[in-house]
Amino acid sequence: MADNPARRSRLVLPLAAGQVRYQLTLLVRSPLGFFLTLVVPLLMLVSLNVITPGNAASVWGKQHYAQFLTPAISAFCLLNACYVTTITSIVLAREEGILKRLRGTPLPAWTYLAGRSGTAVVTATVSTGIIIATGVVFFHVTIIWREFGYFTGAFGLGIGCFFLLGAAVTVVIPKTDTALPMAFGTMLPLAFVSDVFFSSVHAPHWLHNVASVLPVAPVARAMEAAFNPATRSWPMPTTGLLAVLGWSAAAAAVIAVAFRWEPGPVRWRAS
Amino acid sequence: MDDQPPAIVVTGLRKDYGRLRAVEGVSFRVGHGEIYALLGPNGAGKTTTVEILEGHRKRTSGSVRVLGFDPATGGRRFRERIGIVLQSGGIDAELTVREIVALYASFYARPRDVAETIEQVGLTSKRRARVRTLSGGQLRRLDLALALVGDPDLLFLDEPTTGFDPNARRDAWEMIAGLRRSGTTVLLTSHYLDEVQHLADRVGVMRRGRLVEESTPDALGGRDTAGTVISFRLPAALADEKLPAGPWDEPERHDGEIIMRTDQPTRVLLALTGWAVEHGAELEALNVVHPSLEDAYLRITDETTAGDGSGR
Repeated sequence: MADNPARRSRLVLPLAAGQVRYQLTLLVRSPLGFFLTLVVPLLMLVSLNVITPGNAASVWGKQHYAQFLTPAISAFCLLNACYVTTITSIVLAREEGILKRLRGTPLPAWTYLAGRSGTAVVTATVSTGIIIATGVVFFHVTIIWREFGYFTGAFGLGIGCFFLLGAAVTVVIPKTDTALPMAFGTMLPLAFVSDVFFSSVHAPHWLHNVASVLPVAPVARAMEAAFNPATRSWPMPTTGLLAVLGWSAAAAAVIAVAFRWEPGPVRWRAS
Repeated sequence: MDDQPPAIVVTGLRKDYGRLRAVEGVSFRVGHGEIYALLGPNGAGKTTTVEILEGHRKRTSGSVRVLGFDPATGGRRFRERIGIVLQSGGIDAELTVREIVALYASFYARPRDVAETIEQVGLTSKRRARVRTLSGGQLRRLDLALALVGDPDLLFLDEPTTGFDPNARRDAWEMIAGLRRSGTTVLLTSHYLDEVQHLADRVGVMRRGRLVEESTPDALGGRDTAGTVISFRLPAALADEKLPAGPWDEPERHDGEIIMRTDQPTRVLLALTGWAVEHGAELEALNVVHPSLEDAYLRITDETTAGDGSGR
């Protein structure tokens, strides 16, 4: 009775693509998601540029501050799209029983997460594209095309790492109300010590070292370096790459072991 | 029902949450095309039992086969063949009715037609409405549509008509009865005992984690044969007459009304009416009351003293 060839399951790739479409539709129709993902980074770019006179905050020698700030805010876009949005949307879906309902269907679990990550790729790419275009058009930022591959590589590593970290963090978030505070409460300090808003060349050495073993700084610094005309080679040091891969692997392990599909408080025992 | 193996076979099911034993020694079978209702007060263990059958929860011990699968390991092939109506929530508020039904249809290898499914639950006029704009009853209908769109062989219905107005409930009953006619097996939980009476072929009653009674709705708790209540008033001419002997206990008397409890209502009525006719009198306000499913259910679960309100 269990064998029923007429019920052969659907291929997973179209299911994953359907999940991306579904998540993007929800994001576009959610004012908060749209605001966080697209509007907030743009506001940060414009306001930080306006309040920082170019000659007072020049970096990398004679480069204008916007040349640093534009890729830095692009890293902030990555964090917003892949970390914050992943946390808030997964916790909301879980606590409203949407994930539990999906688990009762033939949709494979990983397909749902693939759909979420695909959505993160699309939103991160769109918001970063808007930031770079704004920087080029309004703040005279120069794209250094020979280094753009470095930017893309760091961007890809960041998407994977921040998405996995966001999905892993949902495991310890008990309810919807706490998702946004916990997402920003962990993301903003990381961003501040990781060169996302300001260059940390003048920060204490120990802080620089601590940031280097956390996952944001290697990605942000590599994306920023790809806009520095003096950069000549892959800008992420091996220790930074190992930090990003290590955090990604740890997050993936947490997801595999403890990802929660049902609403309610954290349970450490499988039900 | 036919010669096929049962759709659900549960044997010696046990589920512990730490030191709390939520379900113990539960065994029952549900045949193909049957509507089986699982009843019980809050904390009786029925939700845990149903969630184990759905594959949402792992059992501690015992054997469970659903459509030939172990739900804990059945995976996609198992979930292709079931539909689940959850007790509440679980639908994205910003999608339209048509979008969400189409999305769920896309998960299945052999889905039903989306428009037809929406029509079947009476939401055609709302197909372009966002989910957040639906009323409680409309949300339950959408819930039902999401469970039906995969064309399931087995449907789990958890409180399917909560929030429905009387007309909508009747429509839902008709739809569920139609599913039975088309061969779909249904495992139903409901707090509406009239719903269970109307729909279910068989009923299982759980209390404190155990299945304490299993029967048809008409025979639950022996209500088909036992405990019929006959009441009447004696006319003044017979007030001093002694009642005839018969198969009843000592009758109760309240304000001139005589109340008899018997498990042989036909014989009692024959004896009483024969006696009255013999005396040329009429038994006033003669009433024969069969105990309702609710009466039987409350007696079995002893809800007034045992209900602890905790969820299991």
